[in-house]
Amino acid sequence: MLLRSHRKRNFRLMAMIRMPPTWVMRIFDGVYSHRSPPVLGLRRTHQYLTSIRSSSSSSSNGSTATTTAGDYLRQTDEELMNQCEMDTFKSSGPGGQHRNKRESAVRLKHLPTGIIAQAVEDRSQHRNRSAALSRLRTLLALKVRNPIVLDGYKPPLELLQILPAKSTIRGSEAGSQIGPNNPKFAMGMQALLDLLSTVEGSVSTAAKILGLSTGALSRLILSDDSLRAAVNDLRTSKGMRPLK
Amino acid sequence: MSRLRLPLLSSASTTLRRRRSPRSSYSSGAVITSSSASHHTPPLKLQSPLFLRPLSHSASPSALLSFRRWAESLARSSAADLTFDGGPSSSELIREISWLLQDATSQDGDTFLLRTDLEDLYRLWRQRIEERRPFQYIVGCQHWRDLVLAVSEGVLIPRPETEEIVNLAARVEGLQDGMWADLGTGSGAIAIAIARMLGENGKVVATDLSEMAVEVAQFNVGRYKLENKVEIRQGSWFEPLQDLQGKLSGLVSNPPYIPSSHIHGLQAEVGRHEPSLALDGGENGTDHLLRLCEGSISSLKPGGFFAFETNGDKQSEQIVDFMTTQWSNSFHDIKIEADFAGIKRFVTGFRR
Repeated sequence: MLLRSHRKRNFRLMAMIRMPPTWVMRIFDGVYSHRSPPVLGLRRTHQYLTSIRSSSSSSSNGSTATTTAGDYLRQTDEELMNQCEMDTFKSSGPGGQHRNKRESAVRLKHLPTGIIAQAVEDRSQHRNRSAALSRLRTLLALKVRNPIVLDGYKPPLELLQILPAKSTIRGSEAGSQIGPNNPKFAMGMQALLDLLSTVEGSVSTAAKILGLSTGALSRLILSDDSLRAAVNDLRTSKGMRPLK
Repeated sequence: MSRLRLPLLSSASTTLRRRRSPRSSYSSGAVITSSSASHHTPPLKLQSPLFLRPLSHSASPSALLSFRRWAESLARSSAADLTFDGGPSSSELIREISWLLQDATSQDGDTFLLRTDLEDLYRLWRQRIEERRPFQYIVGCQHWRDLVLAVSEGVLIPRPETEEIVNLAARVEGLQDGMWADLGTGSGAIAIAIARMLGENGKVVATDLSEMAVEVAQFNVGRYKLENKVEIRQGSWFEPLQDLQGKLSGLVSNPPYIPSSHIHGLQAEVGRHEPSLALDGGENGTDHLLRLCEGSISSLKPGGFFAFETNGDKQSEQIVDFMTTQWSNSFHDIKIEADFAGIKRFVTGFRR
């Protein structure tokens, strides 16, 4: 009984995380709403990980020029980390036992693309690093486009997995639909953006290729804020109206 | 971009809360009584970390919001007095208010359930600002690597720099199923993190001279269900390890390393509130480090690995110098490793 009520409470906590009413945000984030990272950019930064950098230094031999976003996302965390410069925040003093300070902010710069992801929210540097890394994956999916050939195009499995079940090209091998909270969503999102950019931002053309109605694909795009923003940037750049 | 923001509440503490077993006597009450106290000392009373206490109070959103307003304005008006000795800035204090509220509250419909009463929150925040009581002692925990560790007055708050010592140990191959030791374990941070990476047969013995540290470390070991993997022993450095002479596969420590003359000038949170037993390293700060180096000759088995944290740069070089000149027959591959801020923080090596 005790356990159950705990679980329920946690479920409620999770729900609150997803959609915080304004006053909850004010209690937890501050009356003056400090949504933006409060500490980044204030201190000297330092390049890290030189000792961990593996011998397979793909970033130094120029081969990464042809590496696509898909390839980046298929890398393990460690491989991706090897392509990054990590900035943390150097304290002015000797650090260690001398200091009580949560200098846990992490900023990752993905060297091949210049994309920057950061995390400051958690109290542990370890966690901020993994948060920044998962953000980097999303940003790579959103920002790096791979051209595709429409002739004989078959959507990759990652894309099929994020489509709703009513898609006519979605076989049973795709399993149940993957939503924005699943880490695999980034891969599908990336493939969808590649397709949309190849069809010049036309949602109806992309929908036809994916065996969906235009409305159903629009709903999928609108279900995730970052995906919606990326699609609308694409459409605006092609002189089209943004989706609402 | 909004999707990319991290949750308001730390997922860390939610996970732990979920993982918490109802049978643990530690997590249900507010006070933990030591069972091992001897007859001449009163039993130690360790306050349970705030985030583990029951939700036995409540408050309206507006009452909490007033608290938040008050706490922020106190932080803003006092920050100038705090930063002169290296204390927190107002934006750092405001982040701490968020964390305090995350640990202290849970939402239930329109009201908030609290793990302590509102008055106590006011009292705690006043202590934070006026007495410079470390935030981690206020909430009774420190987030460190992927762990949330109980801490308490009398026990060193594990530092973010020290997170790296676990990575150094993780990179060593072939010792995962051996016996490791963490000397001067404090809250048990390093011992617990290493125990979680070891193989099925790997074990950690963690020692500390302080009774309080032993108690806190034992509590943390229990919370991560590592009673079978981490053994806590009370005593000074190698004293409690007589039975493990020459048997250790790994030896790690974050010993006190601050030169005695620097203790006075420390940031108030550290100098006034943390135990000097865990900070003061003697005249040069190297008293305990040198003892550890010497002791590792007899306690490590051939091929065994050691990693020690130091005061940084010069002190690391001194230790390496000493080891290579005095004990070159005993060790090999002695190296200095930097922390995340680029300070040469750790000395590592192997027993020949």
